[in-house]
Amino acid sequence: MEETELVSLCLEAACKSEESVEKWRRQRRTLERLPSHLAQSLLQRLLHRRLLFPSLLEVFKYSMEEIDLRGQNSVDAEWMAYIGAFRYLRYLSLADCHRVTNSALWPIIGMACLKELDLSRCTKVTNAGVRHLISISTLEKLWVSETRITADGVALLSSLENLSVLDLGGLPVTDKALNSLQLLTKLEYLDLWGSKISNGGVGVLQSFPKLSFLNLAWTSITNLPDLSALECLNMSNCTINSVLHGTGDKAPLTKLIFSGATFIDGAETFLYMEKSLLLFLDISNSSLHRFSFLSYMEMLEHLDLSSSMLGDDSVEHIVCIGANLRYLNLSSTKVSSTGVGVLAGHVPKLEILSLSHTSIDDMALLYIGMMLSLKVVDLSNTNIKGTIPVEGMDCQMVSSLAALQNLACLERLVLEQTKVRDADLSPLSSCKELSHLSLNCASLTDATLHLLASLPRLTYLSICEAVLTNSGLDSFTPPAALRVLDLRDCWLLTEDAVSLFSKKHPQIEVRHEAVPLLSSELVSSNRASLSQPSSRTSRMKSKQKNMPLSQFFIDQRLKYSREELLALQYSFLSLNSPDDTGIILSELQLDPIN
Amino acid sequence: MRKEDTVKLISAEGFEFVIDKEAAMVSQTIRNMLTSPGSFAETEHGEVTFPEISTVILEKICQYFYWSLQYARGKETEFPIEPELTLELMMAANYLHT
Repeated sequence: MEETELVSLCLEAACKSEESVEKWRRQRRTLERLPSHLAQSLLQRLLHRRLLFPSLLEVFKYSMEEIDLRGQNSVDAEWMAYIGAFRYLRYLSLADCHRVTNSALWPIIGMACLKELDLSRCTKVTNAGVRHLISISTLEKLWVSETRITADGVALLSSLENLSVLDLGGLPVTDKALNSLQLLTKLEYLDLWGSKISNGGVGVLQSFPKLSFLNLAWTSITNLPDLSALECLNMSNCTINSVLHGTGDKAPLTKLIFSGATFIDGAETFLYMEKSLLLFLDISNSSLHRFSFLSYMEMLEHLDLSSSMLGDDSVEHIVCIGANLRYLNLSSTKVSSTGVGVLAGHVPKLEILSLSHTSIDDMALLYIGMMLSLKVVDLSNTNIKGTIPVEGMDCQMVSSLAALQNLACLERLVLEQTKVRDADLSPLSSCKELSHLSLNCASLTDATLHLLASLPRLTYLSICEAVLTNSGLDSFTPPAALRVLDLRDCWLLTEDAVSLFSKKHPQIEVRHEAVPLLSSELVSSNRASLSQPSSRTSRMKSKQKNMPLSQFFIDQRLKYSREELLALQYSFLSLNSPDDTGIILSELQLDPIN
Repeated sequence: MRKEDTVKLISAEGFEFVIDKEAAMVSQTIRNMLTSPGSFAETEHGEVTFPEISTVILEKICQYFYWSLQYARGKETEFPIEPELTLELMMAANYLHT
């Protein structure tokens, strides 16, 4: 439920300081009548402000139905003792809580309403912890991926008969352990990535009549038997011989992920699959080199062919199914401008297109300008130069980016590592919806900065490696919406100039080697953890990846570089359900403002 | 002030607050009560009783209504909330949808 204005003012006031918490805490009784959604907002805000301590949890005893503590390093046995007393708790997430041990789980065994429990990556939980869990017979959803539970522990879970979701990702589940889970006939979602299941044991999956989601990525399974209810299948990084090969009803597949897979029979594998319902297909990095099977996937909305063998001659197969496509990733393929030309006019709904690391040149821009629904376009690391000869007059050049002016919905544009120059960018000033722009090109100067000042919705601008000067930055009037300005590797800028700009525009987060990273910049998003250690470490001038890592990461994101994070975002997306293409747009944005 | 332009809000303890109808309408709940045709007795008498809301809180709520109107007209001041009242006020605000 959305918070109304006065409600959020109250939440704000309640979580202002330790003193304010102390004052309202004296009226504990009032919290018993607190509607659960308000209790949740209050608790999340207290967590965010680092004002929550174990005994304060007691005030939520009767009002809490869902509690999300993922990534909270402070959560330990003492916290769990209070949480175990939450009378109406239905959902508990302790994912990435590294101090949760087996004995810390003991207090939750008596919880009569608990239906969903997330213990993902609780690295201290072992088989002994499972013995506590199996007494919570109400459990319907359980996530225990990357814990230290072994095959024997997994076998114990067979007594949780109400389970419909079971995530065993990264656990050494054996054929024997899977066999003992046969009793879980209500299972709809089963995650077994990285397990030790073999072709010999995989047949057991047929005893789960409702199984609709299955993840077998990074396993040695080559033959998957027919599963009549299966909708989503992930067999990334597997060597695949046959999939869902059977005589019965065909599985109503909507989402397939074969990223990095090796197909022994090539495209033949797809022959026996029901393809007409498919919405989402990821065959990036796979061994396929023939793509005619695509023609049968008429409903397809999301197609990832990046790093595959796809060339211009196969683009016709995408054209056949272009009508519903919203997402198309052709990065690192052999597609050239010719291929993009074949595509133009056949993808009326296409919103996201990536052509990075391909050999496309400025001709492709003319075709891209004909794909009128595009919102996100990635053209980084291509041969785009920004100019194109006027027809008939070879020596007269005009800006090829002018074609993008047709794209009325264009929100994000990536032109990193291309050869565009200041003058070529001038058509962008009429792309009024543009909110994210990445231009890491060494050829750009102050002129680009001033040109972009007129973009009303620009919130994120990256112009790394450019030849910007101190005076250029000083005279730059940023668009009112701008929140992030990435100036890394703009080597001419001095510390003084950058900090002067930051002072003049405090609403903008400026990224440059001369600016020490502040905690708020490092830790983004709404569930950010602003812990003291984090702000202390981050004030050091080092870059994120050079930061000394404490025993446990304060925020998992600190582990990764920006590039790795972007890659992770995509992999996260591919695990999402296929029908949330709308979310993709927002998920693509990594900045703290979102 | 004409009677039709005001409403009477009555607290749990029976205290009455007479305020401008315009201000009371800041609350979606009160707005619905006052504008829905016929069915509510509140519509006729211009009176709403809140057996769950104490006088202190209802007074604060009324202050908020007026503050909200002023804020909407561009007067940017802060609305002060005493820490002791925060949770009670939050529940009332939730109920009144304001």
